[in-house]
Amino acid sequence: MKNSGFGILQRVGRSFMLPIAILPVAGLLLGIGGSFSNTTMLETYGLMRFMGPGTIPNVIFTVMSKAGDIVFANLPILFAMGVAIGMAKKEKEVAALAAAIAFFIMHAAISAMISINGGIETLPEGAGADVVGIVSLQMGVFGGMLVGLGVSYLHNRFYRIELPQVLSFFGGTRFVPIICALTYVIVGILMYFIWPPVQTAISHVGSVVLRSGYFGTWFYGLMERALIPFGLHHVFYIPFWQTAVGGTAEIGGRIVEGAQNIFFAELAEPNVTRFAVSATRFMSGKFPLMIFGLPGAALAMYQTALPEKKRTVSGLLLSAALTSMLTGITEPLEFTFLFAAPLLYAVHCVLAGAAYMLMHIFQVGVGMTFSGGLIDLFLFGVLQGNQKTGWLWIPVVGVVYFLLYYGLFSFLIRQFDFMTPGRDRNQEVKLYTRRDLEEKRAGEEQAGVSQKDEQSRLILQGLGGRENLSDLDCCATRLRCTVVDPAKVDEGALKAAGASGVIQKGPGVQIIYGPRVTVIKSALDAYMEHESGSLESGAATGKTSLAENGADNESHTKKKRKTIVIGSPMTGTAAALSEAPDEGFAQGLMGQGAVITPEDAIVRAPADGSISFVFPAKHAIGFTTKEGLSMLIHVGIDTVKLGGNGFKVMVQEGDRVKKGDSLLRVNLDFVAKHAPSLVSPVLFTELSEGQRVRLLKEGPIQAGEAFLAVETEES
Amino acid sequence: MKEFRYTITDKIGIHARPAGELAKLSKEFQSEVKIRAGKKEAEARRLMAVMALGIRNGQEIVVTAEGPDEAEASERLEEFFRKNL
Repeated sequence: MKNSGFGILQRVGRSFMLPIAILPVAGLLLGIGGSFSNTTMLETYGLMRFMGPGTIPNVIFTVMSKAGDIVFANLPILFAMGVAIGMAKKEKEVAALAAAIAFFIMHAAISAMISINGGIETLPEGAGADVVGIVSLQMGVFGGMLVGLGVSYLHNRFYRIELPQVLSFFGGTRFVPIICALTYVIVGILMYFIWPPVQTAISHVGSVVLRSGYFGTWFYGLMERALIPFGLHHVFYIPFWQTAVGGTAEIGGRIVEGAQNIFFAELAEPNVTRFAVSATRFMSGKFPLMIFGLPGAALAMYQTALPEKKRTVSGLLLSAALTSMLTGITEPLEFTFLFAAPLLYAVHCVLAGAAYMLMHIFQVGVGMTFSGGLIDLFLFGVLQGNQKTGWLWIPVVGVVYFLLYYGLFSFLIRQFDFMTPGRDRNQEVKLYTRRDLEEKRAGEEQAGVSQKDEQSRLILQGLGGRENLSDLDCCATRLRCTVVDPAKVDEGALKAAGASGVIQKGPGVQIIYGPRVTVIKSALDAYMEHESGSLESGAATGKTSLAENGADNESHTKKKRKTIVIGSPMTGTAAALSEAPDEGFAQGLMGQGAVITPEDAIVRAPADGSISFVFPAKHAIGFTTKEGLSMLIHVGIDTVKLGGNGFKVMVQEGDRVKKGDSLLRVNLDFVAKHAPSLVSPVLFTELSEGQRVRLLKEGPIQAGEAFLAVETEES
Repeated sequence: MKEFRYTITDKIGIHARPAGELAKLSKEFQSEVKIRAGKKEAEARRLMAVMALGIRNGQEIVVTAEGPDEAEASERLEEFFRKNL
């Protein structure tokens, strides 16, 4: 039942965190920029001279507003990619690419259908939209989700597909964008027929609302909230704000249509003594909700987060709550619980409706530019005076709302164990954590173990101990390790140490952390250095931990280490052995080490030592360091087949050489042309147990530069 | 002690990959496996030593296994040579 609908929804919610993280910033930019560049607002307060179009502040606020707006305008595609990344099991980057492609294609298909059938004019007002520059249907974030979920499903199903030999180039991950593209052509065509009836149904709801008093106001508020996940709230409320659906009034001799227009007309009219509540009933409800209610929900989510995660979630929740309070942009907060706990969102919708209704009942007349944050409350409520607006009711109702949201959310989250941010951990991992915490407590007396060291220790433990780690490396999001014994790797323990995923292929282990992996890797490197340093100085602390931890001592066992550093035999680019384009080498069949893609013709002695052999095909040299380590320098892949062509040997078996002496001259052009690859494995072929190889440098490397380290344990 | 003779039919001879595979296979047995080519001899477990023999196409080698599981080792190794080399 792991893949039940609820479980999937939780994964969707989690995958939303990625695009959501940008929303608070975008919201502040848009909210502040939008309010202070709104000419209606500026005119009302006579600020046109200082901040009107053409002034420097106006330029700044306009740019801010645009920068924030672009994020909101493109939320659908961001969510499409975010959901695809979050839901894809492996090869997530491929899913992201496929999601972008599918998103474009779906909307292009809809767009084509629209223009074939008479163009955008034939659609009802508000039904069409400009989606990433495509004239399409307004599908909002829902459209993005549709793409993200579908693509991740196709991805998980097909990313390992094997096609017939002829088509094999298009197999595996390459097949994913292809199948997604084709699928979403069809989805796009279907959406052209399915979506407009949905939109029509929504607009019918609008006319019902107007005719039904307080209940209508409640229903309006509820619908508006309920439509936010679908991006359809604009379709719903804009008619109320901007057209006769929201009422008609005569102000200063002019007929004004639409709730928001009525409010701003009244705002500009000095003779108005009280703002028309018949208009503001479609707006004022947002204030208690956004300034008080939602921050209460945020506090509840913070308090119900796991203790060790509180610090992490506080950043997200605090910024999201501030955004909601200041600017009235609520999506960052709402999306944190929408998918993790749909029930909470349902409760939120009901309460939102009630907020509008209460404002209607208490005759509060505060309007807004686009949403109900403190900025708008101040400008259109406080500054206008309680006489005209009755704004004092907002904090009164607000305080009640804060408590209500806080109480209800706290209760419901605990009751149903909703996976709101910071509560997301499965049982198994929890168990690991508890054990680890106990271990930590036991070891705490041994000097200050920092949190990072603790994590490094857990990672090493999960990898089967330091002795089991033969190579450590990282890319943008993963720690890439090569281990000696794959069976010792403990995925659960690695996840408990903060990994979001573990991929294991034989001795190759990839631990996924996300972008912070670089920090983790350097902490791990430092930890290992520091560990070996402290080992030599004495094993006093080690004994304590051994005694206390009993059997689980592998990573604690303190032994002396000896490190031998080997220089690079070639100038070129260094990389992990797993990058070798040859299974045998990449899997460590011939030994542990790394690869170099040479850029210089001369292969040099990597250390002082002797030549143990030169292979008859001249492409490989056996080398023994003065410490007795045997090494194989194998130039290129499958170069044995060149039969010696392209190589000129400068030494012979038994020669003693100094580090840097020339061993072999390679005709790089010839080899590149006639062999599958120039990538040259440099290996230690006969390591004893307890000897480990570490790659010291990746990327450009000079011959003679520190390249590999062999660590030998001496008990 | 078990012993067999084998003439290399692989065009290239025993290079890095087969030497690696041979070393890996030899490590599975308790018996000591040795390869003799001409006057030179090497432990099969040691990739470098095997490579150092520089065994080529057409060369005859003698493989010996000595230890508790020498029969099985000899059999499996012979199979390995026939299949790969």
